[in-house]
Amino acid sequence: MTIRNQMNESGADVRLHGVARSWGATTALSGISLHVRAGSFCVLLGPSGCGKTTCLRIVAGLEQASAGVVEIGGRDVTALPPAQRGVAMVFQSYALFPHLTVAENIMFGLKARSVPKPDRLRRLDRAVEILGIGHLLARRPGQLSGGQQQRVALGRAIVAEAPVCLMDEPLSNLDAQLRAEMRREILALQRRLGITMLYVTHDQTEAMGMADQVVLLRDGRVEQDAPPADMYSRPATSFAASFIGTPPMNLLKLSHEGMVPGTGGPVLGPPRAAATLAGIRPEALRLSDHGIPAEVTHAEYLGADTVMVCSVGAEGRLLARLPGRVAIADGALVHFDFGPADLHLFDAATGHRIPQPA
Amino acid sequence: MSGRAIGLQPARIRAIGMAPIGTRWLEIVGAWMLGLIWVLPLLYAVWTAFHPAAYATRFDLFAPLTLHNIQLAWEAAPFARYFLNTTILVTLILVAQFVLCTPAAFAFARMEFPGRDFVFAIVLLQLMVMPDVLLVGNYRTMVHLGLVDTILAIALPYLGSAFGIFLLRQTFRMVPQELDDAARLEGCSLLGRLWRVYVPLAKPTYIAYGLVSVSYHWNNFLWPLVITNSVTTRPLTVGLSIFASTDQGIDWSIITAATLMTSGPLLIAFLLFQRQFVQSFMRAGIR
Ligand SMILES: Nc1ncnc2c1ncn2[C@@H]1O[C@H](COP(=O)(O)OP(=O)(O)O)[C@@H](O)[C@H]1O
Ligand SMILES: [Mg+2]
Repeated sequence: MTIRNQMNESGADVRLHGVARSWGATTALSGISLHVRAGSFCVLLGPSGCGKTTCLRIVAGLEQASAGVVEIGGRDVTALPPAQRGVAMVFQSYALFPHLTVAENIMFGLKARSVPKPDRLRRLDRAVEILGIGHLLARRPGQLSGGQQQRVALGRAIVAEAPVCLMDEPLSNLDAQLRAEMRREILALQRRLGITMLYVTHDQTEAMGMADQVVLLRDGRVEQDAPPADMYSRPATSFAASFIGTPPMNLLKLSHEGMVPGTGGPVLGPPRAAATLAGIRPEALRLSDHGIPAEVTHAEYLGADTVMVCSVGAEGRLLARLPGRVAIADGALVHFDFGPADLHLFDAATGHRIPQPA
Repeated sequence: MSGRAIGLQPARIRAIGMAPIGTRWLEIVGAWMLGLIWVLPLLYAVWTAFHPAAYATRFDLFAPLTLHNIQLAWEAAPFARYFLNTTILVTLILVAQFVLCTPAAFAFARMEFPGRDFVFAIVLLQLMVMPDVLLVGNYRTMVHLGLVDTILAIALPYLGSAFGIFLLRQTFRMVPQELDDAARLEGCSLLGRLWRVYVPLAKPTYIAYGLVSVSYHWNNFLWPLVITNSVTTRPLTVGLSIFASTDQGIDWSIITAATLMTSGPLLIAFLLFQRQFVQSFMRAGIR
């Protein structure tokens, strides 16, 4: 309660207008535009090398954009140095100073900015209370576990009391269990402080679990910018479809008649001159006595559900995620059915979603 | 098949194990030999310095110990003044080298400017020039500057050190870029980052380089000999040589006493901080 009252921070809008960055012949970003609303959690998602880090560093001011404008809190900060932008950042390697204690690390920025000592200690106390790292204050980073280092890095971001927090794959150095725990903690922290979060990851489960808004990047462009639920239910491109979900969406190449080649039906898409991809999520498929004919190659029992790997037609591959334990021998012939709303069609050449008559 | 393979194994193990043991012994013997050769003059100096002159060339386990030689040597020449001169000299050089090499190394390591690599190559060229080659040239320069026979003149040619720049540059380059970024984000200026991030992280290098520099200039002889000609500027090495050649004739007891006295502080300091020094050298990557 008292902590909430002391807070004078809350999020600020972050806007990018046509931000581009290239080094010689390599283009890391080409014309990114996006809007992160104040106090929301935005995840920049994409495969390695797509420009996520570059984008984040441009927002932080650590990297200069070749073109475009960055606005934070309605202010054009494109030409401002990092320290004047009102951003805090958590780095992938945590970037803790090895020669300083935990307490000195957390207060490093406050000291550099000559924040008065009582104020420094008050902010330190608050961060320590939020993160539960009181017993670590006198240690050096080398004496901490990965999870503890992560907390200290978060502490440094908290005491900055900046309206915008940037994180670059902050969980990638942790083991799976700790990662899930820190994910919840970071989300709770963002909600509690009300700051705007710009969070970079290549892990789509992190994005789906944490984000209010997912910005999917590919080769330096925004592939899709949508809330996680929309990105899941209406992927804008075949790339987005194949990037989201565990396992990701099945994409089957259709013949001109709209069928999977080598099967006698059913017709999945309308007959088209251009090549078409049909997308169906593995969890949308159910066993039936009609529908897509498939041959089971291998089944993986995961406890809550079973992932069945099947071959369809001449060269198609289909993954089905079925609830519970499904005992079907390898090599068996089955049929999969699905609801009409679960079928997504994409243009094979451009990858764009083909609008379907509702 | 398998029986034969197993039967072969002990022999093979012995064959593999033998060679390292053989070379290991050679290494140990070699190391001891080198150590002995290195320490013999020192042992002789210690023996002679602490025994009466009569025992200078005669070994007798029960020879009486004495500090008389040390006392004679100390009184025979203004060694107190020489100590002061040398201390001022090495301190001046060390401080100036740290102050000058740090920003230069930082610029070469982390800043981008046209011609950086070319300028750095020129700095590295200095490593290949033997200081003694420049003796005459340096002397002329000091005459022009009116600095002949000053401590500053002894120090001046060494204040900018290519070795120091090179060493610190390598260390600064190994500082993770993210630490620099973090400090920049927290509002540190360029000098602030240098002072709060790079210099503390390079501490082992500073210690190792400092040791090299101090011992080199503590022992440096030729240039100080050329540029100084009075008691108030002479460092220990020059003072010692003048003392050993003209003033005393060849009294080995007193000469060794004076030698031990002048190199003593360095020796003691090294023995005291041996572990830190070795660790620093390891960490700084000089061996
Ligand atoms: N300093 C740099 N110099 C040259 N190319 C760079 C630099 N930083 C990043 N790149 C290039 O920009 C592209 C995007 O990099 P990055 O933003 O790090 O991707 P991500 O974080 O999504 O993995 C990559 O192809 C990378 O090689
Ligand atoms: Mg990255």
